[in-house]
Amino acid sequence: MKKKALRKDFYMEIRRTLNRFLSIFLITALGVAFFSGVRAAKPDMRLSADAFYDESNLMDIRVMSTLGMTKEDLEAIQAVEGVKEVMPSYSVDVFCELPEERLNIQVMSLPDKMNRICVMQGRLPKTDQECLVDHNLTTSGKCRIGDTLVLKSGTEDPLSDALREEAFTVVGSGTTSYYMSLDRGTTSIGSGSLDGFLVVPASAFSMDYYTQICVTAEGAFELTCYTQEYDSLVDELAERLEGMEKERCEIRYADIQEEGQEKIAEAEAEVADGEQKLLDAGEELADARAKLEDARIKLADGQQELADGERELAEHERDLADARQKVADGWKDLNHGKNKLDLEAIKVQNGRTEYQQKKAELDAGYAQLAQSDGEKAKLEEQLAQVEAGIAAVEQTIQNLPESTPEAERQQWEAQLAGLKENKEKIKAGLAQISQAKAELDAGAGALAQAKAQLDKGSDEIEAGYRKLLDAEQELRDAEAEIADGEIKLADGQTELADARVKLADAEAEFAEAEEKLLDGEREYEKARLESEETIADAKIKIEDAKKELADLDFPEWYVLDRQYIQTYVEYGNDADRIGAIGEVFPAIFFLVAALVSLTTMTRMVEEQRTQIGTMKALGYGKGAIASKYIFYALFSSLLGSLFGLAAGQKFLPAVIISAYQILYNNLPTTLTPFNLWYSVTASAAAVACTTLAAWAACWKELNAVPAELMRPAAPKAGKRVFLEVLPFLWRRLNFSMKATVRNLVRYKKRFFMTVFGIASCMALLLVGFGLKDSILYIGSGQFGNVFVYDGSIGLDKDADEEEKEAFWEAVQEDERIAVCMEARENAVDVEAGGSPRSAYLVVPKTPEDMADFICLRDRESREAYTLDEDGVIVTEKLAKLLGVSKGDTIVLKEDDTKQVEAVISHITENYFMHYVYMSGGLYEKLYGKTPEWNQVFLKNVQNDEAFEDQMQADYMEMEAVSDVTFVSGTAQRVADMLKSMDLIIYVLVAAAGLLAFVVLYNLNNINISERKRELATLKVLGFFDGEVSSYVNRENILLTLIGTGAGVFLGMALHRFIIVTAEVDMLMFGRMIAGKSYLYSILITFAFSAVVNGVMFFKLRGIDMIESLKSVE
Amino acid sequence: MPHFVELKQVKKLYQMGEVTISAVDGIDFQINRGEFVVIVGPSGAGKTTVLNILGGMDTCTSGEVWVDGKNIGQFRPRQLTAYRRDDIGFVFQFYNLIQNLTALENVELALQICKNPLNAEEVLEEVGLGERKSNFPAQLSGGEQQRVAIARALAKNPKLLLCDEPTGALDYLTGKAILKLLQDTCRERNMTVIVITHNSAIAPMADRVIRIKNGKVSRETVNEKPVSVETIEW
Repeated sequence: MKKKALRKDFYMEIRRTLNRFLSIFLITALGVAFFSGVRAAKPDMRLSADAFYDESNLMDIRVMSTLGMTKEDLEAIQAVEGVKEVMPSYSVDVFCELPEERLNIQVMSLPDKMNRICVMQGRLPKTDQECLVDHNLTTSGKCRIGDTLVLKSGTEDPLSDALREEAFTVVGSGTTSYYMSLDRGTTSIGSGSLDGFLVVPASAFSMDYYTQICVTAEGAFELTCYTQEYDSLVDELAERLEGMEKERCEIRYADIQEEGQEKIAEAEAEVADGEQKLLDAGEELADARAKLEDARIKLADGQQELADGERELAEHERDLADARQKVADGWKDLNHGKNKLDLEAIKVQNGRTEYQQKKAELDAGYAQLAQSDGEKAKLEEQLAQVEAGIAAVEQTIQNLPESTPEAERQQWEAQLAGLKENKEKIKAGLAQISQAKAELDAGAGALAQAKAQLDKGSDEIEAGYRKLLDAEQELRDAEAEIADGEIKLADGQTELADARVKLADAEAEFAEAEEKLLDGEREYEKARLESEETIADAKIKIEDAKKELADLDFPEWYVLDRQYIQTYVEYGNDADRIGAIGEVFPAIFFLVAALVSLTTMTRMVEEQRTQIGTMKALGYGKGAIASKYIFYALFSSLLGSLFGLAAGQKFLPAVIISAYQILYNNLPTTLTPFNLWYSVTASAAAVACTTLAAWAACWKELNAVPAELMRPAAPKAGKRVFLEVLPFLWRRLNFSMKATVRNLVRYKKRFFMTVFGIASCMALLLVGFGLKDSILYIGSGQFGNVFVYDGSIGLDKDADEEEKEAFWEAVQEDERIAVCMEARENAVDVEAGGSPRSAYLVVPKTPEDMADFICLRDRESREAYTLDEDGVIVTEKLAKLLGVSKGDTIVLKEDDTKQVEAVISHITENYFMHYVYMSGGLYEKLYGKTPEWNQVFLKNVQNDEAFEDQMQADYMEMEAVSDVTFVSGTAQRVADMLKSMDLIIYVLVAAAGLLAFVVLYNLNNINISERKRELATLKVLGFFDGEVSSYVNRENILLTLIGTGAGVFLGMALHRFIIVTAEVDMLMFGRMIAGKSYLYSILITFAFSAVVNGVMFFKLRGIDMIESLKSVE
Repeated sequence: MPHFVELKQVKKLYQMGEVTISAVDGIDFQINRGEFVVIVGPSGAGKTTVLNILGGMDTCTSGEVWVDGKNIGQFRPRQLTAYRRDDIGFVFQFYNLIQNLTALENVELALQICKNPLNAEEVLEEVGLGERKSNFPAQLSGGEQQRVAIARALAKNPKLLLCDEPTGALDYLTGKAILKLLQDTCRERNMTVIVITHNSAIAPMADRVIRIKNGKVSRETVNEKPVSVETIEW
């Protein structure tokens, strides 16, 4: 601008229209501030975190192994290309008993090179008995510096397996960049979540392997974390580290096997030793026992001998007594025999006398007999006579004739009988004589015998007397012998007594020995039992160890980069979310700002129409005339941009980050450097927009001839509006409404701009509230509508039948459980052509009960689905990610070898994680086996925290249970996690308000100045101030209504866009906005509009009728 | 009988920094009910200021302005608005019609707010625009627009009709017709009409002519026999 007058005019213009200049300045500043500020928030958040991570030198990767890491691993990793530093560390999760509660604490070794602890109070631990605690624990008052913390093992293994000490004195508190938020992650002990950490010197650990090896990558320090460059650098290194996994694992496995075998061998040797010793002792004892037995036999022999001796002696005594008796008997017999003999001798004397007598008698008998011999001869003669008589008679009788009379015959007969009788008498006589003789003979014989006997008796007596003498002699001999025996007996008795004493001695000795042996045996028994037990234990242990060693899984490495640090990921996600919001919101602001500047500049040029005409008439060139407006626009927008950049990039990210610092309380620094790219693009766009708008506005005017410009611009002609074509409607409108409608249609630019501005405001609010609704719906939708169960218990797949039975029994008897359902749940990779997605396969044992636990339904139509044998039901987000729909086929992979194909029968509502639901029947069909139930879904009678904690504690004790989770806990965690959203909403509301105000104010201003004349006329006509402003406000209200209506749709579309952009793969945000949010958004929009209209009232009152009507400008 | 309108020592001063400029410097005049008054004077003489004060669009710095027995010089803004609304009809040089409303609607706009308005269509009929009543201002000629403006002022049934250079933007014939309309209105309705003009040629048609120069009444004449506008040539 060489021309002085023009320059002066330019400056004067700015001074005169400072309001307009400022309004362009402000709207540009606002647009640029939001555009560059919100967009810079994401990189600034990353930078701030990066600075924090770099300051503590947070590791890039940590390597863990299922079998721990060794020094050799450390060296091997150090040698890997791209590794900058390595640091081994130990950690163990333990219980810390406080008076009021039990904390789950992660004890870790004091890091030196990386993951440095930031000491907030006190100092770092120096000795093995000192520790530094999580700053959270001191700020929450759970422990203080100087306290002594007593730790307890969280597992079956003793604490001494991990730590040398059990108690540590707190010497300081601090933070670590590993945890940025209050959350400390999960653990396998106790309730499952960590309450804090404890740092102790590495020497306090007693582990013989490292828990993990932390690694920093060469060049990663210089890069900003969360960026593509950083991620790929670390990924490459991670891949290299994973490349050495196999080799290192083999070595580690072999080492452990060897070590284990050695230990087993040692233990076995020890056991063998023990057994040998036991055996030896047993043998010794057996020897002793044998000896004792010998002794016992000898003793028995001795006793026997003694008994024999005693018996012999007794026999001797008895013999002696017998002999004595015999001798006595002999004497008695002797005397008896003598007496008898004397008596016999007398008898023999008497017998002789009798004999003499008898002999005499007999001699007399013989004499008689000799006399009787004559008689005898007589008798024999008589007999012969009689016999002859008889024979004669019998002859007569026989010769008697038959005719002989009977009487005769009888006579005869009688004669005969008489004869015969005589005969008999004679015979008897004869017999008497013979008998007498025989008697005499017998007497003579007897007498002879008696005489012989007498003789013999005398002889015998003679012999008896002799024998008696002999016997007497014998007796005397025997008596002598007995005396001898008695002497011998006495001797024997003495001997026997001696032997008895000896035997008693031996017995005592033996008893003692026996006692000793028994003692020994008892002792041995005890020792044996004990050592057998220990040996058995040792054997079991050895067996276990062997089994363990045999079962020992081949180690696996976990190469975990920062993506496995919970807060790192969460923070990154939050930054991404802000980034997604930054994609859209600032653009709206920017658009509105550009439109507002355009309108303002156009209005300015229009107002200066006469002046442009004058200049032209004076002969100024187009460029010179236009430059005023272009420079005006350039100046205001450039200044606005610069101010906006400064304010936006310094202030907005700082506000956003400090808001996140509520959540990420460890984040110390807020870095908000100028972002050149956003600065340049935003400013350039803003300046270009405004300047081009100015140029475009000038262009039209500059092409007109000066005369035309000098004339006042014909006011915009009134027009009938489309509504008038509909008389039934038009007639119904009252007069002011007609005017309002006409006016709205007349100022189309204003109409659209205002509607757009208000719609944007409404949309921003709706998005703000809607975002919160959607995100919170993850919690309430997933855990309130989809997962309607209260909790689940995971069963340990290694549990044996007995343990499972115990578990089921407990579940059956547990009155806290209302219903339960068995199911199988396992992780699968789902694929449909593209890259696979991780999901959980859920197979309910009783699909008919499914609705009580998991609600399968269409998100929009709410149509409930049931599982059948034809296909699987997959969750919505998974289907979307895979790009599949109902009827398509997906591949389920459990590992590379096991995969099945299934047809999708339905797609179900789901917000958190991915699931594939399958019926047991289909599972059998696909996998060829019945599913192994490993999960129990529960519905409980109560839901409060204490109740669930108790239940968790109860079931975790069971062997068969591997985990117990409750839905309420998860829902609460999700809600907590998203609390930071509130702040974003406040920012959005504030932004929306600002936007609404700037846009409405600006447009109203332009509107009023454009229609000043019309409004002045109304005033002249006698419209009161209120009536005048209501004449204008009616339009504004209508515009607000239309804008709000449009904003609802814009907001819904934007909301959907942001939701889809911002949500991570694992989640699906709710797609709907709550009615409450619509209401709030509308009310707030109305409120903003009302405020602007209120301000406008004063502006309208200030309109000067006279000035406005004086002339046409 | 008191005068319908009476101005007593009305002054209007503008403070421009250190300097005080007096637009109106002590004006006195009286007007009777039903008179057709013409105020003439050169540009910058203060006649528009007087009209504005009289019409309640401006306030005087000092002096009294009596209209129908009320001193509007003492009115507060709201009273002034009510005064404009009920008692005054304004006709401007540039018509000041609302562009977005048809002729009829422009009249109706004024009727919306007053106490006992006339029928808008009848009034339009009377000003000769019965046929054009549903046309927008842009579709009407200047004269027609001015008629609409007059109709708008008349329809309010005001006590006082104030016209500021009503013919200023019109051609000769049209201007004449408008003046005729005003004169007729005055006569037929017995309405007090005050017309401001710099054209002293039309003075003979008035009942009373007030000449203003340098913020003061220079001469005030009463025409005993005002002539019809048709007879005047300029």
